[in-house]
Amino acid sequence: MRYKKITPWLFLIPTLLGLIFFRLGPMIAAGMASFTRWNVFSPPEWIGLGNYIELFNSDIFLLILKNTVIFTLVFVPGVMVVALFLALLVNNKLRGMTFFRGLFYLPVITSVVSIGVIWSWILSPRFGLIYQLVNKFFSVARLPSLLGDGRYALFTLIFVYIWKMAGYQMILFLAGLQNIPYMYYEAATIDGASIWQKFRYITLPLLSPTTFFVLIISIIMSLKTFELTFIMTQGGPNYASSTLIFSIYVNAFKHFRMGYASAMSYILFIIVAVFTYLNFKYKDRWVNYSE
Amino acid sequence: MQKKLWIISLSALLVLCFAFTAYAQTTTIRYFMWDPEFKDLEQGLIDEFEAENPDIEVEFTALEPSNYWPKISAMASAGELPDVFNMSSGYIDQWAGDGLLMNIQDEVDKLPQDDYFTKVFSTLRYPDKESSDMYGIPYAWVTTVLYYNKDMFDEAGIDYPSDDWSWEDFRKAAQALTIDENDDGVAEQYGFWWYGRYAHVEPWIYANGGRILNEDKTRIAVDAKAKEALNFLADLSNEYNVSPPKRDIVGIRQQDMFPLQQTAMWVDGSWNVAHVRQMGEGAFDWGIAKVPQGPSAEAGEYEAYGWPDSLVISKESKHKEAAWKLVKYLIGKNRPLESYMAGKVPINKSLANSDEWLEKDKQPAEMNIILELGEMMGRTSFTPGWGEWRGYADTGGAGMNGVLDSITNGEMTVEEAVETFTKYGNEVLERYYPEE
Repeated sequence: MRYKKITPWLFLIPTLLGLIFFRLGPMIAAGMASFTRWNVFSPPEWIGLGNYIELFNSDIFLLILKNTVIFTLVFVPGVMVVALFLALLVNNKLRGMTFFRGLFYLPVITSVVSIGVIWSWILSPRFGLIYQLVNKFFSVARLPSLLGDGRYALFTLIFVYIWKMAGYQMILFLAGLQNIPYMYYEAATIDGASIWQKFRYITLPLLSPTTFFVLIISIIMSLKTFELTFIMTQGGPNYASSTLIFSIYVNAFKHFRMGYASAMSYILFIIVAVFTYLNFKYKDRWVNYSE
Repeated sequence: MQKKLWIISLSALLVLCFAFTAYAQTTTIRYFMWDPEFKDLEQGLIDEFEAENPDIEVEFTALEPSNYWPKISAMASAGELPDVFNMSSGYIDQWAGDGLLMNIQDEVDKLPQDDYFTKVFSTLRYPDKESSDMYGIPYAWVTTVLYYNKDMFDEAGIDYPSDDWSWEDFRKAAQALTIDENDDGVAEQYGFWWYGRYAHVEPWIYANGGRILNEDKTRIAVDAKAKEALNFLADLSNEYNVSPPKRDIVGIRQQDMFPLQQTAMWVDGSWNVAHVRQMGEGAFDWGIAKVPQGPSAEAGEYEAYGWPDSLVISKESKHKEAAWKLVKYLIGKNRPLESYMAGKVPINKSLANSDEWLEKDKQPAEMNIILELGEMMGRTSFTPGWGEWRGYADTGGAGMNGVLDSITNGEMTVEEAVETFTKYGNEVLERYYPEE
């Protein structure tokens, strides 16, 4: 059997076709659509930069952009700290530890829909568990409505999303932790290092490749959040918890403003690209690929 | 062997010929519907239609609304719209405006007008709701009514809502029906429940003769009567505390408040009769009434708020005659009543007035009120982009809906709210009507 130059490409055809037609194609189409006004049922109408100009003149869009940034800035550190803490907890060799590992991972594999619905129940001011308990012991009549009040809705969503996703990042951190050779800790113990010093000078630096990976997927995760918003707040009240992806969905499939939604997608694309670029540019400053 | 082959190919040819002639004689039309729940009933109706019209074959598809609209829109852009399909009042202007729908006025004129609730036809006219031609015809319509819990009224010792109730009477009843036993400011039982939803607010505005759009429906323009209605509702929330703030109604569907007996009164669409029946099953006695007429409405001129669910024919349809035949059949009196959710009204009057629709053995006893309202239908506020500026369904936290919610939360005054949603609403409308 002799291989020609073309042979590997033949094997790649299915993948390449898929990539071209189902990834690249729609991306280019969306780019074109972002310069049009297009309600799907009628032919698109070319309006140049009209959609982008409208976006940056819209108070609502700027609020949504702000919400998206806040979501990322709070979610990413939040989920990473919680996940690392959980990973450190379950990294102990105690009896029944696998049970806890499973427990913390459970929300990740639970359907977002059920999580959204159940958290909405828990947080319901009129019927919810938390409010009933607090009322029973402290009898505070009107607690803030964590989902219904514009001041808290976004942060409540972030909290629930961290609660749901932390198990995933925990598993990644756990794998990273178990790759750190035990001898470093032994040596440090002999030198009289405290737990904090061991964490600060051994765990964190040696974990940095994992941390880098977790950082990137957490950022992407935070920018992609959709289902929880859709189920718990629908972007309300008054756009207070709307983020880019949710807004793209609403404009594309509820208001049938494909052009406008495509323009939003491209702005999201630019944001993701910038984040990723910054990550790779500055990773040498803190990521140690030791060996 | 050769002989056998000859016979087989000849007979195959024969079959093909027959099939072809049969095919050539029948017209195939495609019909898309947005309610899969009633798919079987609809199919039964279509079977009857096909039996009566052997030359017409109907290809029938039913999709959930969330799939229906993207699918239909994509088909429209590909120039492959079904011949007959469902259309909502919120979208018809856009579709008619883009030239996708057939003008059916001439056909409608041939129908015996007395057989139908013609008052609800106006929504389907384009561009002018009073005088233009129709681009669709309803198979059903709904309106908004006041639901009330008879047990709670009895308990409080007050009379049930009557036709001549004023807003003042309504407010007093709501106060008497609000019960806050531990006096903590959060009532265990509310007298009423409203938030920014279109089916909660517009009935009051129209019952007061108010308008939220200008005469041409090209801009948001809230008039004094509409503001009066909004102020009345705002006071129910903030001044009298007889309706809960929207932010407290989380983790419960808004339509469950009444059947779960959290509130004594509620204004929403008549189709919720089915929901209240199912959820409140035997738990309490309840009835429906007209939304009380406002103080500024012209006496004797009651304006009900309602809208139809309709059928339209594609402008590009190659079988318009057959399509209209099907539409006529679908809106006729052969349609099974079970295909109407309780509280949705058949467009055909003889169907609507039948005992089977009135269901006297079930609650509410006042189903005839819905039929009366059908004769009093007034204006609606549907425009192109309505769902966007109004804030509807999945986007209820947005648009005018979201802003009005802020009133119930005590975060905005009526003046501020009107100013805000007028500004945002007009940004939407300006896209469709650049010049007023």
